[in-house]
Amino acid sequence: LCRGGLAERLCRLQNRERSAISFWRHQCISDDKIPSDKSGVLIVKILEIFEECTIQVAICQQLEQSPVTLSPEDAVINAEEPILKVLFTRETAAHLRSRPQDVIYIYPPWQKLLLQNSDVPVIMHTYFSQKVLISEYSEAREKTYGLTKMLIRKNIISLAQTFRLDDLDDKLHQESSDNQVPCAPQTHNKGDSKRHPLALSVVNDSLLEMVESQGAVGWREVQVRVVIQRVYCLPAREGCRSHTQGNKPLCATPVTNSDPPHVRLCLLVQDAYGMFSEVQLQSLSSTDDIEQYCRRWEGKSCCLAGMKILQRTTRGRALGLFSLIDSLWPPVVPVKVPGQSQDSERMTTNLPPPSFCYILTVQSGEIHVEVDEEEQISNLYQPPAVHGLKEILRINGCNERCSFWAQVLYRRLQTKHSVPIDQREVLLFVTDSTLQNVVPGIPKVVAVSVIASCVLSMEITEALSAGSRHVFFKDALWGNGRIICVERTVLLLQKPLLCSAAGADLSELTGPVRLDELDSTTQANSICALRGTVVGVNESTAFSWPTCNRCGNGKLELCPQDRESLYCNQCSEVVTTPVLKMQLEVFLSCPSRSQSTIKVKVWHEISVVVSALFVLLTMLLFLQTYEVQSVLGKEVGLLNCYVHSVTSHPDCVVLEEIVLL
Amino acid sequence: STLPAVAEELLREIKKAFQDTSQVPDDLLLGLKFIFGPSAVPALDLVDQRSVTRLRSPSGRILYQVLGSSGKLYTCYSSCHFCTCPAFGFSVLQKNESLLCKHILAVYLSQALGACQELAVSEEQLTNILLAEEEEEG
Repeated sequence: LCRGGLAERLCRLQNRERSAISFWRHQCISDDKIPSDKSGVLIVKILEIFEECTIQVAICQQLEQSPVTLSPEDAVINAEEPILKVLFTRETAAHLRSRPQDVIYIYPPWQKLLLQNSDVPVIMHTYFSQKVLISEYSEAREKTYGLTKMLIRKNIISLAQTFRLDDLDDKLHQESSDNQVPCAPQTHNKGDSKRHPLALSVVNDSLLEMVESQGAVGWREVQVRVVIQRVYCLPAREGCRSHTQGNKPLCATPVTNSDPPHVRLCLLVQDAYGMFSEVQLQSLSSTDDIEQYCRRWEGKSCCLAGMKILQRTTRGRALGLFSLIDSLWPPVVPVKVPGQSQDSERMTTNLPPPSFCYILTVQSGEIHVEVDEEEQISNLYQPPAVHGLKEILRINGCNERCSFWAQVLYRRLQTKHSVPIDQREVLLFVTDSTLQNVVPGIPKVVAVSVIASCVLSMEITEALSAGSRHVFFKDALWGNGRIICVERTVLLLQKPLLCSAAGADLSELTGPVRLDELDSTTQANSICALRGTVVGVNESTAFSWPTCNRCGNGKLELCPQDRESLYCNQCSEVVTTPVLKMQLEVFLSCPSRSQSTIKVKVWHEISVVVSALFVLLTMLLFLQTYEVQSVLGKEVGLLNCYVHSVTSHPDCVVLEEIVLL
Repeated sequence: STLPAVAEELLREIKKAFQDTSQVPDDLLLGLKFIFGPSAVPALDLVDQRSVTRLRSPSGRILYQVLGSSGKLYTCYSSCHFCTCPAFGFSVLQKNESLLCKHILAVYLSQALGACQELAVSEEQLTNILLAEEEEEG
């Protein structure tokens, strides 16, 4: 038995009671007369007896005074006397051996219970009962009856009648005995209606209180009002798991989602006390909605209910989450201080930054979040602080969240084959007006890494592959001289409506973009522009191949029907005017970096009008020989390149010509 | 019949007293003993150990599972009094000696004291649990 538990307490109480009962019975037998103390004694006359599950139920009449004092003639059933239902345990009943017309004294402590639908009170705890023998006649009768067994009617209790523990007008609980199966309430995430399907319960303004009240009676009806500071997507690590507590798995099979969406919509919310919580909502089927959710929800208030605590995390364990929280600290309006009266002098913004945060998730199938979309932006909301890239590059700290609006010039995917495609990093080269203005010492273009756990919407991915676009980077991370898009960073195609822009420039670049020229400060994995003279050719790298003019497929095949033509199996058509692609590695001499060997892989394309194979092959051979001879000494004009590597011994820079978006 | 109404009222009083005072008074505990006899202490023990789980499916169907002292998991229905434990079959169904078994009583007490563990399951899972009982008996 659990120490301090209810079972242990009842055990103690019942042991005490048992001793009291046996002591009392002993006393009755030895005294052999009715105890003189009559206070609290219930005197009843049994009218009818029946049995229900070993409990003897006696319908009785309560007598005002002891029938001993009355003569037998006076002991007439008075219809006015109140009726009681007296319950006896099996053991007490066996001891009493009562029959109808018997009079029983029930000594305290007995208990009276009033039922809801009945006028007849029920008497329980009748251990201290004694039959009263009125006269010698009764005594004799008693002895006779003792030999014969009385038949008592047994009531069979229906199993269909369950107990309803709630008040009759409480509609929340669903254990009704008439087998209704109501549908679970719909989730209200779109916030279209202001219905509150939960019974009217007090709306709290403290997340901590809600968290601490979990498990207590009625906690699921508690609603908390919070402000949505940020909306973002997190990659879902695994399918939903069954809820296990301690070491007792209570479900045989874990829940698995049949169709696996890979991202979950999350909110970073803040309550009136300044406390933050990350709320993980349902999985998103399409990441395109994220821009919609950000626009509609950020800055608005919402009510949370029926949350489940997933985790309580601390600064040391969730650096990413806390870097975002730090960017929202201190709060822009004074927040309440717990435990004190909330007059405005006590409210403060001078508080230490949070050191812990609860991660909440929703109970499936229940109402959880209701966003007041029509309402105004809350005062507590801190929109992202947008800065120019020049300013961001000058930030001193590490792991600082920053937001900026920039043009993406070039995108490079990580090509390490050992890493699965969906976990590869993407490198974006961006610039804005603050960088394009010529300032020595500041690069014109900055590389932004997007790691795999930063969720990019399909819209963004398509936009970036189609052409140069302006993108809003919200809550990217700056540290160690690099900008990284991590978990909780959101890339959006539209400018933010609200931003605390201390001199932020949201203008778009109109003129041509300039890259830094190749020089002694150029580093690997960057982009630059160069000019120089061809001083050598790496002949072994000269390579030409035909590509499809429609889709760019570089793996054309011979047409099955006409072996003189080329066929593209991605377009499923014959290629009549293929595009010849040529690549060649050339060595350049660049005045801007004259000491180094510059090796550039250059590309060239020409469109071939005639596709007859014979002609094509001749052309390829011609081009390859032509290339080597005529290229030497040629001036190569401003070429945009991606820097593969920069080595100092030997002093060599390996680049690849690129086309900007 | 009287006893079910009495038992229900007793459980309601326990729930009310607990909601008001976060405690169960002694007289109500003794009332449990009076009505339910030998099931009372074991049922309270199951509640102390948080052995009752309420399973809820999206359509609103409810089932209870109680982790018995032997480590076996018993299923209690919510729409009628039924438990898959052998004591229920014997004492309640066969001999009509008790109103409930200790597991069903533990379910009610857990409801009254807010001590149910909650578990959301799929429709399929709920069905499997119910069907599993059928197969065992079949």
